[in-house]
Amino acid sequence: MNYDVLVVGSGIGGMESALKLGDMGYKVLVVEKEPSVGGKMILLSKVFPTLDCASCISTPKMAATTHHPNIDVMIYSEVERIKRGRDGRFQVRVRKKPTFVNQALCTGCRQCEMTCNVAVPDQYNADMVARRAAYIAFPQAVPKKAVIEREGTSPCSFACPAGIKAHGYVALVRAGKYQEAFNLILETTPVIGSLGRACYAPCEGECTRGDLEGPLPIRKLKRFVADTYYREHAEPEHKPAGEVKDKKVAVVGSGPAGLTAAMHLARRGYRVKIFEAESRPGGMLRLAIPSYRLPKDVVDRDIKNVTALGVEIETGVRVEDPAGLKEQGFDAVFVATGTPGTRKLRVEGEDLDGVMTSLDFLRRVNLGEKISLEGKTVVVAGGGNVAVDSARVAVRLGARRVIVQYRRSRAEMPAHDWEIKGAEKEGVEFQYLSAPQKFIGENGKLTGIECIKMELGPPDAGGRRKPVAVKGSEYRLPADFVITAVGLAPATEQLAGRLELNQNGTISVNPETLQTSVPFVFAGGDVVTGPSMIVNAVAQGRRAAFFIDRYLRGEELEGTGYDYRMPAVDKQKVTGRQRSYRTLAPVPGREVTGVRAGDFTEIELPLTVEEARYSAGRCLDCGVCSECRQCVAACPAGAIDMTMRAEEVDVEASSVIVSTGFKLFDANLKPQYGYGKYKNVITGMQMDRLLAPTRPYNTVLRPHDGKVPDNIAFILCTGSRDCTVDNPLCSRVCCMYSVKQNQLIMGALPLADVTVYYIDIRAFSKGYEEFYQQASAMGANFIKGRVARIEEKEDGNLVLHYEDIDNGGKLSRAEHDLVVLSVGLLPNTGVFNLFDGDKLEADEFLYVKEVNEDVNPGQTSIDGVFVAGTASGAKDIPDSILHAGAAAAQAAAYVERIRMSK
Amino acid sequence: MSDQKRIGVYICHCGGNISDYVDVEGVLRAVQDEPGVVVAKTAMFTCSDATQQEMVRDIREQNLTGLVVASCSPKLHLFTFREVARRAGLNPYQYTQVNIREQCSWAHTGDRAGATEKAIRLVRGGIARTNFTEPLEPITIDTVPKVLVVGAGIAGLRAATGLADLGLSVLLVEKSASAGGKVAGLGKMYPHEKTGREIIARLVDEVKRRENITLFTNAELVEKSGSIGNFRVKIRLGGKQREEIEENAGCIIVATGFDTYRPREGEYGYGIDGVLTLAEYKELLDRCGGGLVRNGKPVKDIVYIYCVGSRQQAGEKPNRYCSRYCCNAAVHASIQSSEASPGIHQFHLFRDMRTYGKFETLYGRARDQGAVFVRYSESEPPAVEKGADGKLKVTVKDLLTFGEQIEIPADVVVLVTGMVPARNEALVDVLKLPVGRDGFFNEIHPKLRPVETVVDGVFICGACQGPKNSAESVASALAAVTQSASILKKGYVELEPLIASVDPGLCELCDVCAGACPYSAIERDHYQGKEVARVNEAVCKGCGGCAPVCPRNAINLKGYTDAQMESMIDAMLKEIG
Repeated sequence: MNYDVLVVGSGIGGMESALKLGDMGYKVLVVEKEPSVGGKMILLSKVFPTLDCASCISTPKMAATTHHPNIDVMIYSEVERIKRGRDGRFQVRVRKKPTFVNQALCTGCRQCEMTCNVAVPDQYNADMVARRAAYIAFPQAVPKKAVIEREGTSPCSFACPAGIKAHGYVALVRAGKYQEAFNLILETTPVIGSLGRACYAPCEGECTRGDLEGPLPIRKLKRFVADTYYREHAEPEHKPAGEVKDKKVAVVGSGPAGLTAAMHLARRGYRVKIFEAESRPGGMLRLAIPSYRLPKDVVDRDIKNVTALGVEIETGVRVEDPAGLKEQGFDAVFVATGTPGTRKLRVEGEDLDGVMTSLDFLRRVNLGEKISLEGKTVVVAGGGNVAVDSARVAVRLGARRVIVQYRRSRAEMPAHDWEIKGAEKEGVEFQYLSAPQKFIGENGKLTGIECIKMELGPPDAGGRRKPVAVKGSEYRLPADFVITAVGLAPATEQLAGRLELNQNGTISVNPETLQTSVPFVFAGGDVVTGPSMIVNAVAQGRRAAFFIDRYLRGEELEGTGYDYRMPAVDKQKVTGRQRSYRTLAPVPGREVTGVRAGDFTEIELPLTVEEARYSAGRCLDCGVCSECRQCVAACPAGAIDMTMRAEEVDVEASSVIVSTGFKLFDANLKPQYGYGKYKNVITGMQMDRLLAPTRPYNTVLRPHDGKVPDNIAFILCTGSRDCTVDNPLCSRVCCMYSVKQNQLIMGALPLADVTVYYIDIRAFSKGYEEFYQQASAMGANFIKGRVARIEEKEDGNLVLHYEDIDNGGKLSRAEHDLVVLSVGLLPNTGVFNLFDGDKLEADEFLYVKEVNEDVNPGQTSIDGVFVAGTASGAKDIPDSILHAGAAAAQAAAYVERIRMSK
Repeated sequence: MSDQKRIGVYICHCGGNISDYVDVEGVLRAVQDEPGVVVAKTAMFTCSDATQQEMVRDIREQNLTGLVVASCSPKLHLFTFREVARRAGLNPYQYTQVNIREQCSWAHTGDRAGATEKAIRLVRGGIARTNFTEPLEPITIDTVPKVLVVGAGIAGLRAATGLADLGLSVLLVEKSASAGGKVAGLGKMYPHEKTGREIIARLVDEVKRRENITLFTNAELVEKSGSIGNFRVKIRLGGKQREEIEENAGCIIVATGFDTYRPREGEYGYGIDGVLTLAEYKELLDRCGGGLVRNGKPVKDIVYIYCVGSRQQAGEKPNRYCSRYCCNAAVHASIQSSEASPGIHQFHLFRDMRTYGKFETLYGRARDQGAVFVRYSESEPPAVEKGADGKLKVTVKDLLTFGEQIEIPADVVVLVTGMVPARNEALVDVLKLPVGRDGFFNEIHPKLRPVETVVDGVFICGACQGPKNSAESVASALAAVTQSASILKKGYVELEPLIASVDPGLCELCDVCAGACPYSAIERDHYQGKEVARVNEAVCKGCGGCAPVCPRNAINLKGYTDAQMESMIDAMLKEIG
């Protein structure tokens, strides 16, 4: 696009320049970084000295700017670079930030805002109240369109291999929306109850609270969500997809990968059938995980989430040739048969009666076979989770003594630490650095183990220190029952020659699409990855379904952007963003203690409602938007688009006006005034918000306790005329905005006393002195003297120590119940980075330098670039408007000159 | 009413500006069944973009033929909502604005019931008027691409070059013999240290280089007729032959500057030798190269007294305003003095130091050079008298050192004099310029229309509008340039059609109307063999002065016809119910 003039910033200066140029017939592009035009002025209450509503002055200009036939406005966009091209015109790159709301569809109805579950400080209310992550900037916003604030993917959600929106359901639990939370997880996987109990929860490892008091119990919140939902819904609410496709998909294996894939495919309308070799579905969820950890009725209920969609599960069927299913009418096959094979220890006596592999042991127990270990000594060989699970099951089967024997030390043990501790509590013994050499039996029946002690040698190729047998350390361990738990493996022998396999027996697939060597056969889960975690299998199931769907629709498989997550948000940014968060201790985990034989009661106690809400409330909303997707459902226009990404647009302009405004002084830099520490010390901008027609509390209240203040102090020159904060300049507006606030307060709170501590009252422009005298006549008390420091009293009142210059200069004290720091203006130095090539010069105070202020106000060091408003120095609104008019006149003259020269 | 209107009524909360004192929903209930009303709604901000769009939708979908918004003063949003009507395809003149903010909520903050009742009556009146509106078209006038700039000080000169750069012709009229105004007489200026003479010389040169600027010195604007877009102006040229020329101009920019306050005899010792105004002292300073000397004697002690002629609270017609530039100028003079005569003693007697913005650094520099600043109270001003030793003696109570009474000997006392409005009665009369309480010319609104006056097409800039320094004057001059250019570059202007019209059938030319018209808009015409009055559309302002005095009732005011006024009165007087 080609423009005559680019205007950077749409505050009052930018709008005024743009409108004047547009009226003169020049084509103008206005780029604004906020979601609305209007700058800071629209946020003010009334404006001096006429006491007009800031809204009343701004809104017509805002509407006129956006509707002007000669003006284009890009909101929520930032100028990245301005460079002069060979023809002398400026080449401008603008970055349109993603709003995640299709601006053409949005009607500004605010449904998204009302349904949003994340609250963040409202910058348009000077952080005094909260706004939502999905929001419309303020009631008079132009355009009145919503945006969703997303800093990135929250670390918890990003950590989830399956892409479960952890932050989303945490936010929903916080809001008490348990059913919505359940449905959000169900969008990704059906095995919600199972994951809520047995997931290794990588999300918690990444939780930003983990760097503070401890992570949120995200997994247990998922369990809470599932339990709550299942309690109320014995049967799923959802029904098979409305539109059924004529294509059929076979899923081989009913573990978490198979179930997840089946659900996604069924939802897309495919007719799905699962084949399961065992007598009951669920795969490892049912067979391997002990029921004190994962009760089997939970697995059953999870599976119903899949069958409710019309998915048929046939058990007791072993599929030997997946590709052969094509003949049975299946258009695609997903192989997710897991790792039902177990590795051998390869020691003598492994086939003795009384020696069993862990998986076999757990499977029998889980399928209800009666095994009694009453009074027996049980040795479990291995150090993984399955070994520890087996040991704890053995305890529950009445074993007298259970020993876990592991050839490395505790530090190397792959089982989860909490599992080891749990086992220890239940009396399981651990023998580290020891390995079985031979199982000894009598009459084919095990009686003991010949063991050898080990020591750790140098690290092996994988970095783990290899155990080495200590010569001559053999000893004998009596045992009645041995469980070998040294690893699981896929059982893919019969697939050899039918599908391409890897050396370790796993199926070879394209890692992105999970397609096997046979195009219509896809594979995923443990049979591809080797033994892994449930949530990884879920991830593979979901991925497989996505690509099977594309395959069946005849679409390109590779490079399609399956993962549309934004990068993870930087945790340091999150903690930096939180100016003051409360310390919120985690809820301690609780387990049932005192295990009795035959008792397979679930050991982990669930979170209570209160604990769940409290725990969810600890969330720091790292990514801001939680991706809870409630707005997606609520938007009547279907305008929410979470896949939106930043876009770069290149335009050309003959001339540029920078009207990037100012920054407010950060009152934290004057610690003696206690801002941020004393609750009843606020800034001038906050007072302006308290007085604005769209004010947060509908009256002036002090933030500490909501009391209506009756004795308010203003401290002028906070951060101005003050070399201790490196700002020797006067900010020009603070005296007058304070005087204005004096008058408004005396109108709103007729009984309140107002005192102004000042150095000089700078009421210098037209009508200002009269306005100041008017405030004085209304009863505002002006004291010449700088406030040295403030102390807070117990009731929140504040004691000011000051020099009372007009009364002999004595040091005095005064008590007030609200203190307003009349903070000054500082340069917005970001503007200097916009230019590439030509240098936009700054003055000694880092404002944009006006090189020829006497006759060309607004002219900068770059020919054709002008500055309007406070970007070149503090100004009040009337001066900014005149300055903007001057910039517009010169930009127009420059454009004319360029036209003439061509 | 031949065809029933379909009217949309929108009542504004104005955030709380209205709804805090007026029961907005109550107003809605009381007016929604008025004749013609088909849509009635309230809104948080009717002026917000969202509500504007809702109105556009309603007008289109409900085929509305009339629009009423009850909100603020039409001064603020009449054009906003006319534009809404236009966007929706409704004739903008079928819109009526009802002011329930300035006239109800703000005027009756203590009486919610009364304010609400008044609002109901006003809105009903507005609806009744709208029922009788007719589509009107603005009067279009081709514009002359030429601007008359009155005053060739720094603001006028810069306005002229600014206009010329945009392709507009300029008539630059200066009363005195040469261009340059006050700045031409200045030496070094702050903060850039260029001299006023240099700046003006450069600008005059720029003016001369532009073919489309005609500079008239010794000249005055003596007559103006016509209207925005096409004024007819008469310029009297001085010199020997006192010739008058007539020209056309699309707009007029007034940049007639200020006068320096002249102290009364005896005011802070003015009249005693050595007591000077700031301007007089600056001349002295300018003349002295190295070492400050006055009347052959070195100047060693200087006392500045601030706010002379400004911030006055007492006296006859006090200048209540602050003159803005003087603190900065005095501090700058102090710096120059120190540089000219290092080691001199300078005392500044001030009330509030108003070295605003970046000028604060000048104040700091003056202090660093050793100048002493003493704060005096308005109620106990310093006194200046002749001392015994031939020096001046200044007595003042210093508020910064516990109110100590101090006496300062001085060679020179500088009265830091402010700006006063220039005397321009003749020009005010010709242009009908609005003069504010402070005597300076008044803009319509300092933020919305900062260089426009109530006379369409006549703009003001520079210090004639109020005290300003030269850079600020130039900024406002350029703002006036954009304002002029935005009208003249389009080539035409649209004027309000809400003007008087004479029914020639009824008119008997008694000429009473012509006597009542303040704009000389009544002309004569022939109609069916008789002479009748006719309204010059470009000149009539629609003030309505003529309509009621016509004995034949032959004059109607478009938009405010008798039928409309009567229906409004009836509607307003109806029982509230």
